[in-house]
Amino acid sequence: MSPLAPKDEDADLLAAEYVLGVLDLVERAGAEVLLKNDSQFAARVADWEGRLAGLNDGYAAAALPDLMAKIEARLFAQAPKRRWFADLRLWGGVAAAAVAVVVYLAVTPPKPELTATLSADQGALQFAAVITQNHLTITRIAGDVADAAHSHQLWIIVGANPPVSLGVIPAEGETISLPGAVAGAILAVSLEQPGGSPTGQPTGPIVAKGALVKA
Amino acid sequence: MTDDPIADLLLAVAAQDRVAFRKLYTDAGSKLMGVLIRMLGSRAEAEDALQEVFTRVWLRAGRYDATKGRGMTWLIALSRYHAIDKIRARPDHVSDDLAIEAAADTAPRAETRLVAMGEARRIGECFDTLEPDRAAALRGAYLEGHSYVDLAARHDVPLNTMRTWLRRSLLKLRECMDA
Repeated sequence: MSPLAPKDEDADLLAAEYVLGVLDLVERAGAEVLLKNDSQFAARVADWEGRLAGLNDGYAAAALPDLMAKIEARLFAQAPKRRWFADLRLWGGVAAAAVAVVVYLAVTPPKPELTATLSADQGALQFAAVITQNHLTITRIAGDVADAAHSHQLWIIVGANPPVSLGVIPAEGETISLPGAVAGAILAVSLEQPGGSPTGQPTGPIVAKGALVKA
Repeated sequence: MTDDPIADLLLAVAAQDRVAFRKLYTDAGSKLMGVLIRMLGSRAEAEDALQEVFTRVWLRAGRYDATKGRGMTWLIALSRYHAIDKIRARPDHVSDDLAIEAAADTAPRAETRLVAMGEARRIGECFDTLEPDRAAALRGAYLEGHSYVDLAARHDVPLNTMRTWLRRSLLKLRECMDA
């Protein structure tokens, strides 16, 4: 194969380094932004995944723990049908306890239209968001629930508009009506006082964020 | 249907088929567990990661494109990236040698080996064109999630030297693999 132009060569090496896994956290995050927004870069990553796939033989299989029940509970268990802001007092009292994370899905789940993974710049906190038929389901998939002195509040940011609150996220996740969401909109979670921001805009740090993409 | 059973399961999972999701866990889980133990170094951490990986598989299976690669390759990539993110997010992420000792406890299943053999032979030949210590650094990075910082420390060379080594090796590898 003939050498690439210098700019392409850099992009190709970055793709290789991303697949190899040698980048630090910040460089990795940069590569992931490219991966999501630049189809040429995504193709380079896919090519490198293929080139290096032969190394996968170096991984031996291991005894498989029986985690399917937990995984299914996380993905499919029916969440209690509460109104968005209802029962805040109640769940606030138990929020510190470990509560199983569940996602509400209908019995025959419709196909997701938009998805987002909301990740923290630092720490393990992560939420998954799925939009289907004008409803958004948000669930915490890694990291801890907010402590008793705080709430996690969800926001949507479309273009240069100010964030719009989608409410406080209950410990067990939630499904809410959200018509008109578009790919590229940002979902963000801020750390607020219990019950949510008093100002209608985020007042605490953004603890996780991610862009909506077509599923 | 494709000639790749894991790809078929992924396509079914993308269509929200929960039976296929269970079968995918049974068929692919052992290999992915092996990947996660090798990279994260502890079975407990690997179990947490495996739950996370399968959660993402359910949510992201729609992005899998069977024309772009084998199902197992996609699953291993997803697992590796999750493990690498976890390793890099550690307060002190210099990898632990225990990872090697804790590595997987059973031999790969015959069919997994067969699938991988063609790819493995090719990359093996291309690795043979690299200097042995650089090939070892590449392999360690891929299999155990070593960063440039880790590799520089392990091979006792400055960070920039390691970066230059690996980048040259990657170019050589690309040339050989694409030939």
